[in-house]
Amino acid sequence: MKVNIAGAATTKFGELWRRSPRDLIKEAASNALEQAKIKPSRVEAVFVGNMLSSALGNQDHLGAFFAEELGMPVAAMKIEGACASGGLAIHAGVMAIQSGLYETVLVLGVEKMTDHSPEEVAQMLMGAGTDAEREAGATFPGLYAIMARCHMQKYGTTEEEMAQVAVKNHYHASLNSHAQFVFPVTLEKVMKSPKVADPLKLLDCSPITDGAAAVILTKIKNNEVNIIASAVATDTLGLSEREDLTGLKAVRVASQKAYQMAGISPKEIDVAEVHDCFTIAEIMAMEDLGFFEKGKAARAITSGKTKLGGSGPIINTSGGLKACGHPVGATGVKQIVEIYNQLKGIAGRKQVEGAKIGLTHNVGGSGATAVVHILKKG
Amino acid sequence: MISPVKIWRNQKRIRQLLGLKGKIVSFTKIFVPPAGFEAQAPYIVALVKLANGQNFTAQLVDWEDKHLQIGQKVKTVLRKTRDPGEEGIIPYGVKFRRI
Repeated sequence: MKVNIAGAATTKFGELWRRSPRDLIKEAASNALEQAKIKPSRVEAVFVGNMLSSALGNQDHLGAFFAEELGMPVAAMKIEGACASGGLAIHAGVMAIQSGLYETVLVLGVEKMTDHSPEEVAQMLMGAGTDAEREAGATFPGLYAIMARCHMQKYGTTEEEMAQVAVKNHYHASLNSHAQFVFPVTLEKVMKSPKVADPLKLLDCSPITDGAAAVILTKIKNNEVNIIASAVATDTLGLSEREDLTGLKAVRVASQKAYQMAGISPKEIDVAEVHDCFTIAEIMAMEDLGFFEKGKAARAITSGKTKLGGSGPIINTSGGLKACGHPVGATGVKQIVEIYNQLKGIAGRKQVEGAKIGLTHNVGGSGATAVVHILKKG
Repeated sequence: MISPVKIWRNQKRIRQLLGLKGKIVSFTKIFVPPAGFEAQAPYIVALVKLANGQNFTAQLVDWEDKHLQIGQKVKTVLRKTRDPGEEGIIPYGVKFRRI
């Protein structure tokens, strides 16, 4: 398959108290349209990735809400899959083009989270979990901490190795003016940060973020960057029902489907944006995506293989969820924007030289939804 | 949102989950709780393999740091789970206690 990306943009990510979801979407969509040199009237459908507009913003009906704002009275709908909402919205856009129903569509991702207290946001995010997990007072850091402890027990992964993921991603974010945290952190600072859900500390966790991203997908050939695989897999909603707690089966299934669809192997990926909602999540992603053998990713990350200038694949040049920020519904769309920029060679100081094939990995909840896209330079 | 109807419907399932024995597979100590659990933090959430082969995730009660071990034997008990909030109905649910 081949779906062209005509334009892609994100807003600045961060605590954007002066800005509304309408502002954010308007900026991201306008910039993507300008880049694509496509008139707004060419857009035939709008897909909005978002999780919490109802719980935090009292706003449902997001398709119509943003279609009105953008002056696009076309087919418009919200796609929701917890933190994978953005990736699923891209998948929906790809399906819309592949079906032949539409020639050009706009995919949006947006989340406005920082207007609320961390306790409120933590409670609303647990909407992605199970009844039992909510009754236990579990949080997403807590669920990933449970997986981290299993990974530590089975493979000897250490807290320092997890902290190295944060150090690397903050370094990348320090080169990205759109990131929430445009500064590096030291290993010591990560290790000494307060505990959130033991063994995960504050600097092992992605932050609460506002932001939006927009991507224009089209059937019209432009020889720039193409999506050559779009795969989704689903696992049990909660952790209790899983066979293995040291990785995410949905990621293994979705990535295998994607590699098969694209006709490539994991070794051919030059650059990837992965779902590092917590540092342990990036370690598990490296293994589940087939970049490193099970139990060996933590050491590979520590040795600098996945950092800019390393032997590759280079992971999370945007700073990832950890340091670029994680506006949940926008994340999956932002990942596509970053890989698009990398393959187009316009990623600036964080450019991976000669990058030709890139991958995005977006996860919902504690791993119930996994979305993998593979992009190739035209 | 919690509604009294939901509490009534869900509590019917609890009885089948009481008095079951199991072992801790993994656990975490939650320092930053969600709304409704602020008064309990820090608390332990454990994933336990029950003797019937099923896994279950719930809080561990009456713990000291020395009990926080993978393999620790526990059993399920009935406890209040969170602050009742405006509805005023106290939600009860399953927690683990060490044996």
